[in-house]
Amino acid sequence: MPQLALTEAVFYILLSLQKPLHGYGIIQNVGELSNGRVKLAAGTLYGALNTLVEKGWIDALPENPESRKKEYVITKNGLAVLKEELDRLSELVENGKRILGGN
Amino acid sequence: MRRVIHKIFWIWQLEKEQAWINEMASHGYSLEHAGRLTFEFEETEADLYTYKTLFLKGWADSEENRKYLKFLEEMGIKVVCYINYPGTTWIYTRALKADYPDGIDLFSDIDSRIKGMRVMAGYMIFVMVMMLSATLLNLWYAFGMGHFLPLNFICASAVFVLSVFAAIATVRLFVNIGKLKKERAIHE
Repeated sequence: MPQLALTEAVFYILLSLQKPLHGYGIIQNVGELSNGRVKLAAGTLYGALNTLVEKGWIDALPENPESRKKEYVITKNGLAVLKEELDRLSELVENGKRILGGN
Repeated sequence: MRRVIHKIFWIWQLEKEQAWINEMASHGYSLEHAGRLTFEFEETEADLYTYKTLFLKGWADSEENRKYLKFLEEMGIKVVCYINYPGTTWIYTRALKADYPDGIDLFSDIDSRIKGMRVMAGYMIFVMVMMLSATLLNLWYAFGMGHFLPLNFICASAVFVLSVFAAIATVRLFVNIGKLKKERAIHE
């Protein structure tokens, strides 16, 4: 069964977690990646992070005693899912350009 | 300087209460503590904080809720105080207005908005059932004891009116959930 489309929030969270980041870092990174267009809210991010940990797409790292902030990082499975989603998005863009004649 | 205000907000007036607390903050009165009928404000500079009232399932100190509130704290959203109700907790949080100039928005996608509304709607149904049970019990006392008891009849009427307000708020929540579901069919 083909993978279902990822939400924009999940796509950007996985993209952000190529290196370990805590929640606030993810929000900032997603904001920068999308030039401020995507603003993740704290409650949405919390739910998404828990689901992604359950799915094994990201890992929660042991808490840093200095910052007391939990950090997350993408797993191999998460990376595979992200690449698959990228292929799906590329197909959408290519088909869109082909039919509408965009560049 | 501390200022105490006595005011009632019913459970379906969460947004109205939040708007009032934020209006007080905009006039330089920052909420420090809230009880069921009292609100204590500290005089601060105007618009120092922005407030958000949350509705969580279970007690505030349950493991799941503690993890969530700790996560919010990492985001700069701190718990000011909370009130426990049966099966739920009403939590008052705040963040610096400088960090959240547009206010605290906890849900930025349709799915999590729907989930938040469902939690609220579920509790509203519980409140309605309790109120309707209280209405029936008071009606039974008012008419079923062999003689008319006016006090129980007045109680039954008052609780029934409140349950109607709760019902209206619940219907509104389900209408909004329905709209969001339609929206989700075409947008994320």
